[in-house]
Amino acid sequence: MVAARLPSTGFLRARARRRGALSAALVVYALLLALALGLGSAHWATHGEYPFGVVRAGPWSVWPRAGSRDADPYTRAVIARSGDIPLGVGEGLLLHATVDSDGRPLDARCSYRIGPSTPQARFWTLTVYDAAGRPAGAQDRRNSFTSSEILRDAAGGFEILAAHEPRSGNWLMLPDSGRVSFVLRLYDTPASAGSAALDPRAVPGIHRLECAP
Amino acid sequence: MSRAAYFLLATLCGLMLAGMTHLSAVLAIPWLAENDAFARLRSTLSADRSELVAAPGDQSTWLPYPDPNVAVATCAYSLDEGPVRVSARTGPLFQSLSFHARGGGVYFAITDRAAVRGVLEVVVMTRRQLDEALAAEDPEDPSRDVRIVSPTREGLVVIRVLAAFHSQRPEATEAARSVACTIDREE
Repeated sequence: MVAARLPSTGFLRARARRRGALSAALVVYALLLALALGLGSAHWATHGEYPFGVVRAGPWSVWPRAGSRDADPYTRAVIARSGDIPLGVGEGLLLHATVDSDGRPLDARCSYRIGPSTPQARFWTLTVYDAAGRPAGAQDRRNSFTSSEILRDAAGGFEILAAHEPRSGNWLMLPDSGRVSFVLRLYDTPASAGSAALDPRAVPGIHRLECAP
Repeated sequence: MSRAAYFLLATLCGLMLAGMTHLSAVLAIPWLAENDAFARLRSTLSADRSELVAAPGDQSTWLPYPDPNVAVATCAYSLDEGPVRVSARTGPLFQSLSFHARGGGVYFAITDRAAVRGVLEVVVMTRRQLDEALAAEDPEDPSRDVRIVSPTREGLVVIRVLAAFHSQRPEATEAARSVACTIDREE
């Protein structure tokens, strides 16, 4: 009897030790999983564009709540990580385009026609940015237009030609290559009160003309 | 329980903890960020004048997606020592003030249309400072200040001045950096 019990207690003790090691490993595994998934997903959700609250108007994306008191926590985190200072509601509205009116990504090797009208605003500016979010080109290049500088046609409409090579009229210079984006800022606009004013017909279209091979 | 069941249980616990970690990280980012606008401008808290962040066309600014036609200047404020009086002289150029709470959220914005005799003047205070000011005030002769309540004790006042033409850029820069942000001490 005794001889038969001894190996069985040894077996039980070894099993308990194994179980302890197993549960410790599982706790470490659960904690590591929590850290990796939690921090990784938080990082992923708070870099780049604001993840929530986007309103699309033609090729343009607008985040009407980014500059308001009730911006969601993800928007606040994106603002904090990028160091951005968003335009406040009542100050203006920012429209960002990374695609043309047909949904194709904006490419510096192509040329684009932008116009003919914008939503109502006291002033607006249209700027072309490179892939890193800097105004495209050097300081003396034409990378932006304001509503006061633009040449208009007889009906009051305008046409901005964005291309790498010079064009007559309102020419906006694109960089040599790479992705570009356009930002239209409406300063002091009634459109910021509600995005119902952001009708796809009221915002300027971005039409691709031709592309260099 | 079998080994697989333990593993499943640990995975479920891990996922739940991951959700909590995710939420707390997102909520904590605005307060821990070292590159957000407030953290970058913390050193200007004691300045009486607005600090230029981006001159029009400035390519070297840290501001992402800067508007090359706009001069951006800021006053970082802390309401610990009293309300902050922001006073901007408006000119022919479009000018706007926006008020950002630390940790995100624009709680007030005003454009030069609201200027009285060419001056935009706003007093930023906490709820408690507003209550004290209202209690101390003579009801026959109320203050004419525009008072706004900041949801946090710290924040940023951002001044934007638009240069509609290239030649107005120096003027816009000058207007943006000449906004006074002084602590309103009690008499």
